[in-house]
Amino acid sequence: MKKSIGLLLALTLILALFAGCGGGASPSGTSSSPTASASGTDAAVKPVKIAVAAPMTGDNAEYGKSFLAAAEVMVEKWNAEGGVLGRPIELVAYDDKNSGEEAASIAQKIVSDPDIVGVLGHFASGVSMAAAPVYQENKLVQISNCASHPDYSSIGNYIFRNNTVINEEFKVIVDIIANDLGYTKVGVIAIKTDWGTTAGGIADELISASPNLTLVAHEDVMETSDDYSPAIAKLEAAGAEVVVAVGMYGLYGPLAKQYKAVNPDIRLVGVSNAYTQQIIELGGDAVEGLFAPVSFYADNPDPEAQAFVASYIGKFGSEPSSLAAQAYDSIGILLTAIQQVGSTDKEAIRDAVNAIEYDGLSGFTTFDEIGDASKIFTKVIIKDGAFIPYEG
Amino acid sequence: MLFQQLLNGLALGMAYALVAVGYSLVFGILRLVNFSHGAVYAFGAHAAAFLIGYSWGLLPAVLASVLLTGLLGVLIDRTSLRPLRKKHSPPIASLISTIGVSTILQNLLMIAMGSQKKSFPALFDFGMITIGTAKISWTQMIMFAISLVLLGVLSFIVHSTKIGLAMRGVEQNGKAASLMGIDNNFIVTFTFFLGGASAAIAGVLISGYYQVFYPTMGFMVGLKAFSAAVLGGIGALHGAVLGGLLIGVAESLAATWMGSAYRDSVAFLILILVLVVRPSGLFGRKGITKV
Repeated sequence: MKKSIGLLLALTLILALFAGCGGGASPSGTSSSPTASASGTDAAVKPVKIAVAAPMTGDNAEYGKSFLAAAEVMVEKWNAEGGVLGRPIELVAYDDKNSGEEAASIAQKIVSDPDIVGVLGHFASGVSMAAAPVYQENKLVQISNCASHPDYSSIGNYIFRNNTVINEEFKVIVDIIANDLGYTKVGVIAIKTDWGTTAGGIADELISASPNLTLVAHEDVMETSDDYSPAIAKLEAAGAEVVVAVGMYGLYGPLAKQYKAVNPDIRLVGVSNAYTQQIIELGGDAVEGLFAPVSFYADNPDPEAQAFVASYIGKFGSEPSSLAAQAYDSIGILLTAIQQVGSTDKEAIRDAVNAIEYDGLSGFTTFDEIGDASKIFTKVIIKDGAFIPYEG
Repeated sequence: MLFQQLLNGLALGMAYALVAVGYSLVFGILRLVNFSHGAVYAFGAHAAAFLIGYSWGLLPAVLASVLLTGLLGVLIDRTSLRPLRKKHSPPIASLISTIGVSTILQNLLMIAMGSQKKSFPALFDFGMITIGTAKISWTQMIMFAISLVLLGVLSFIVHSTKIGLAMRGVEQNGKAASLMGIDNNFIVTFTFFLGGASAAIAGVLISGYYQVFYPTMGFMVGLKAFSAAVLGGIGALHGAVLGGLLIGVAESLAATWMGSAYRDSVAFLILILVLVVRPSGLFGRKGITKV
């Protein structure tokens, strides 16, 4: 009696395994079938779906939710004008919890949904790079508005980056330090993640290569820790006058507070991640005078920018960062490409995205052969509890 | 710089000591490692921040948070541990149960208050004191003082009051204690209440020092505090404080000499060493057989 039940259960499990495999293999074959040629009424009302994959919970949920809010603003704008190809646009949000494993499994889910024509994601470079091979293999266009690791776009021709490569950002940072601040002794503090280690290394190189600057110390810190005092003590002992902090927004508040308690004259420079309202909430007075290079600034007087900012604040509650503006533009790029192509054929969309010239809120965007976009930066500084552009 | 790192280590260590005292207390009386202590500590910080957000004064919010967190400790005991004791389950079942409670609590906090780091009002922020070339902040000194006071109060309760006598009796022999007229269940409830209350105090102090709080704050601190409690001899309250200080200093020195990336590993390396070389820790009693 017991043996036959066991056998039955085992058979059921094996059959379920085959069913799962079979289900996974078929959807990629439907991608080239002309679902978008709106001949019948069924195809006409079937929505065009775009996936948004980013951390929606956890330490970096602020970023994920902000990307979703920005994407929603763009989608609402297009839907108000009739959608794309006469079909309404729908966003499907996925929470990758900022983990590579989670991202890879989400990527599998996304590519097995035949209605999804493109992906906005992910957030961290390491995570985006973990998911990218899945999108590349299944010919789904992935635009990341946030990955800045140099190797990201070269994973494949379906992988695009609508963000600065970290080298470009650091050139601006080094320029700020050398020319605007006039200090010579620079310390670097970086979080110990895929991105942080690479970006920290690039920072070191560029600072050492700059004629007037000396790199006095480089400290790696764990993202999970709130106590940076050992690293700060080492930077202080090395005599750093200005510190480049390479991390997510959660780094800057506590770091600034702890550093200013030890050395009130220290200047801090952040990367574009630093341009979020939460830094001011967490850092208070300590983050006064923090610099950052950004590709989009919320007080941009352009009417489309102001409309975006207003709708975004309505959804999210605070001003958009450059990453949010890039999310907004990335969705716009994808939709424009689909409009240009006239169908949801994946290869045609890829070619259209690569060739596109998009005048967006984060600058005039074009993609090179690898899939990188180039941006123009504004320098911002925190003064009296708000970000203002730095003219100096 | 070494002196400064030492001071940093002592300050950090005091934070671990505050949490480690709770572990030692519960283990000392119940022979149970309460892994939900880290999550209860995070709850304490969140409760205080929540009440402060509703414009309660600092002191009323902290007192209310201590009360609430104590009650949470009691709730955890009633719902997840008492049924296991009734069934005479092996001690490891209770241990695993507390791990589960920890995850549940953390996720409930995430759902209720959001998972991002949030700002906690600064406590005792009176500036820095300079000792030679090193600086230490008033907050750190006051944390030190409050931890010693907490240690004193808990030790007093356990060693010099009737209820403390009952707690020690229950720990030595549960059956005999109940034969002597002690209500075992009440003693266990009281122990968990004390544990929760001390976790809340730790939570408020540490959040006030770093000025951030978030649902997973109890995870790393909880594990390191556990190492600290084991190092000091789990069950001995003064051992927990000493263990916490040692781990804090070790972490700080490791960050200085080996780089900040090795900070976390040092605490767990010490845990392994202690368990291999001298499992009863510095002040613990020998002959611990239960899990």
